Amino acid sequence: MAEKNAASAVNPLLPITCEVVKIIDETPDVKTFHVTSANGKPFIPMPGQLAMVSLLDVGEAMFSITHQGENHLEFAIKRVGMLTDALHEIEVGQKIGVRGPYGNGFLFNDMMKGKDLLFIGGGIGLAPLRSLINYTIENRDDYGNLHIIYGARSPADLCFKDDLFENWPKQRNVQVDVTVDKGDENWKGNEGFVPAFLEQLNPSPEGKITITCGPPIMIKFVLQSLAKMNYKEENIVTTLEMRMKCGIGKCGRCNIGSCYVCLDGPVFTLEQLNKMPNEY
Amino acid sequence: MRELVDKAKTIAKELLAKGEVDLVMGWEKGTFEDKTSPLFMRKPEDVDKLVINEFCFNSLAPYLLYYKNHQGKIALFVKGCDSRGVVRLIQDEQVKRDKIYLIGVPCTGMMELNHEGQLVDAAKCRGCTHPNPVLYDIILGEEVEAKSPGERFAAVEKETGSAREEVWKAWARNYDKCIRCYACQRICPACNCRECIFVDQGQEWIERRVDETENGAYSLIRAYHIAGRCVECGECERVCPVGLPIMKLNKKIAKDIEELFGPYEAGVDLEDKSPLGHFKYDDPEEFM
Amino acid sequence: MKAVNHKRLADILQEWSKGFKVVAPLKIDDNIRFKEWKEGSEVILNENSNIPPKEIFFPQTEEMYEYSIDKENVEIKEQVPTQEEFIVFGISPCDLKSLEMLDDLFLTKGFVDPYYKAKRDAAIIVAYLCDKPCRTCFCASMGINYQEAKGADIVIFKDGEELAFAAQSPKGEQLLGQVSPLLEEKELKLPAPEEFVLKADVEGLAEKLASMFEHSYWDTAYEKCLNCGACTYLCPTCHCFDINSHNRCKQGFKTRCWDTCMFADYTLMAGGHNPRPTRKERFRNRFLHKLQYFPERYEKTACVGCGRCIKKCPVNVDITAIIAQLKEVDLNG
Repeated sequence: MAEKNAASAVNPLLPITCEVVKIIDETPDVKTFHVTSANGKPFIPMPGQLAMVSLLDVGEAMFSITHQGENHLEFAIKRVGMLTDALHEIEVGQKIGVRGPYGNGFLFNDMMKGKDLLFIGGGIGLAPLRSLINYTIENRDDYGNLHIIYGARSPADLCFKDDLFENWPKQRNVQVDVTVDKGDENWKGNEGFVPAFLEQLNPSPEGKITITCGPPIMIKFVLQSLAKMNYKEENIVTTLEMRMKCGIGKCGRCNIGSCYVCLDGPVFTLEQLNKMPNEY
Repeated sequence: MRELVDKAKTIAKELLAKGEVDLVMGWEKGTFEDKTSPLFMRKPEDVDKLVINEFCFNSLAPYLLYYKNHQGKIALFVKGCDSRGVVRLIQDEQVKRDKIYLIGVPCTGMMELNHEGQLVDAAKCRGCTHPNPVLYDIILGEEVEAKSPGERFAAVEKETGSAREEVWKAWARNYDKCIRCYACQRICPACNCRECIFVDQGQEWIERRVDETENGAYSLIRAYHIAGRCVECGECERVCPVGLPIMKLNKKIAKDIEELFGPYEAGVDLEDKSPLGHFKYDDPEEFM
Repeated sequence: MKAVNHKRLADILQEWSKGFKVVAPLKIDDNIRFKEWKEGSEVILNENSNIPPKEIFFPQTEEMYEYSIDKENVEIKEQVPTQEEFIVFGISPCDLKSLEMLDDLFLTKGFVDPYYKAKRDAAIIVAYLCDKPCRTCFCASMGINYQEAKGADIVIFKDGEELAFAAQSPKGEQLLGQVSPLLEEKELKLPAPEEFVLKADVEGLAEKLASMFEHSYWDTAYEKCLNCGACTYLCPTCHCFDINSHNRCKQGFKTRCWDTCMFADYTLMAGGHNPRPTRKERFRNRFLHKLQYFPERYEKTACVGCGRCIKKCPVNVDITAIIAQLKEVDLNG
């Protein structure tokens, strides 16, 4: 009489084994990992979505998927704690666990279609933006002009230098402006913080969606600058980071009010954020 | 103890009204007649809620850890065991004596409901040796006699002589029940580390999984860590939601310390040094 | 009505345990815990178990998958969450209600938790209607009638010396059929419902709390809370968990363990930022989660009035008192 009760076929908490096929040193504390599974693609994410990456014996954490290649996924990971320290020590060929994709991604409604897009990134904050930048470049006709404003602490801290200085500027209707907080003897580009740089460039808010991501202190001042420049909160988009464990809206910790960042985010419009409790 | 409340209120009101302190910690009536809850008074009118009775279980000493950076002076009511907790905090340099004002409460013992619903002497007060505050700025009434000081180690006497395996079996059964809510750690005036290794998972000293091994490791490490600093207030055991006999362990260690180093009670004398916290040439050293 | 003398309950459980694992509130030293019933086990009804029966479906520690790592490969082996049909005996109406909240969390909003689902699907529920409320109970305030158990396969209550059994589902009928030789037909009725000592009024509270996040109420309400995890671990609706490795020489398994928003490391991010850095934010989150966030997300208050938190809080933080204080807050003041 006792019957077996098998659970649903897919276990969303179970990682699949993936292999690291390439590691790029972006900055002294950021590396980009190209990761693939036996079938060439662990899963198909939308820009801005997240995945849980794990070294089984160390731990598991949520990262934004910075790019989806032909047959691999890319994660740009900054060294900030135990897991990321360990990830920075691995070599090509290492097997890791990956599960996802999670979260809403940037394209959760049609707000960006046909619009000019202004990207404002700081430091490792360019990682999630890059997935959308590459997506809009691949689907060039669906979007208007792209303007990328990016800053880092120093020239050495600039992530994705190939994209910033080679790949993106070559594309049709794409403008890239880069600044560093402080240059070195070889730096010939702009100096200064991102918010001031933004105000100096003074892009018009007309017909534009702004997507910003970076350290909290940068975001705070970027939002103030955007307000000064008459950008509307419903046209500003940002991504949030919270500690996550499950990624599927069950474990509880990534809530901001009744929102779970892993499910309802990580991408929110400023209009949405302003209605949420200030606890992130 | 109830008769002390009027005087207690007068003192607390005066301290706040004159600005001698900006916070008084005491107790208010809880959900039921036999419950109280810590009360934080900042204005003289807050004092109206103050109660002093045989249900004022909570030691207010551990709260001092949350006010380490508090600018003003803090007053708190202390029973005998609570005052010993404060002494320990001062000795561990967690609290400065001149930043606190202690209102002593001679304690006739706490009362609790047993399973049959009758009020009986609280288990945690059994064997109490210091019903009167050992340190205070003002005391509310006459000192009282200790009820059962001879029973200080009653909890461990029974087990002395039992086979090791039997004792471990009983503890393993206990650790099987522990849910690691850390109530025992949070309520303990001896647990005053800025960061507890059990809470900070990043250290990986202990896993969050709950089983005999991890729970045992937690409990035993905690017991050893507070050895010589435990003031035997019994709060850990009182608050344990699954009723573990935590004090049995603490009493056993206290008894061992007495047997090794001579009579000692933690937190009784500000000048007294813990036998495990300093070295004397005639300390036993059979392990060397 | 089918009935048996309460002293013969063990015979019924004995009969059922021939075909099923039976989990019941058992006396274990001074505790009551839902554990597997064996001959000689003492069942305690009409009193809250120390740990709520959520631990049957969502154990405090649960293995999710095994792994082994060598130079060439990583192997991940799922601990397949399957479960044979089993009986949960003696669950009270409030704890039964809490399963609805856990169902909402684990089984809806896009992802199904397979570990929870396997056990939930396999459970045959035999509920016990409380003889009378305990002094810490306030389930009535949370919309629960302690004299009914919707969703249970069988419902039991006590009338004098007799235990009455009523099937509420085909599965329940089948189960009662198995023990029919032990049951007699009797006229039994529920005792008159009793008044509750504790009450709480959550009418309109979620809406009110939506504008109280920054309210000064929270500046002092949290002060007595020590941020231990007792209330959350004892709560039948609290469901937060952590995922951890048990690692031994490149082999091990992943477990999920109960976690609590009361602990500082719950939201602590790598790099050191903590969105809920002090006791105040953590305390506020616990109550807002129960009384506002969960209702907003799942249209239910995440409290069933079992009173375990009131009974066991080391410093007597009382959710009914907090609800009353929140109701009293003057938003214009």
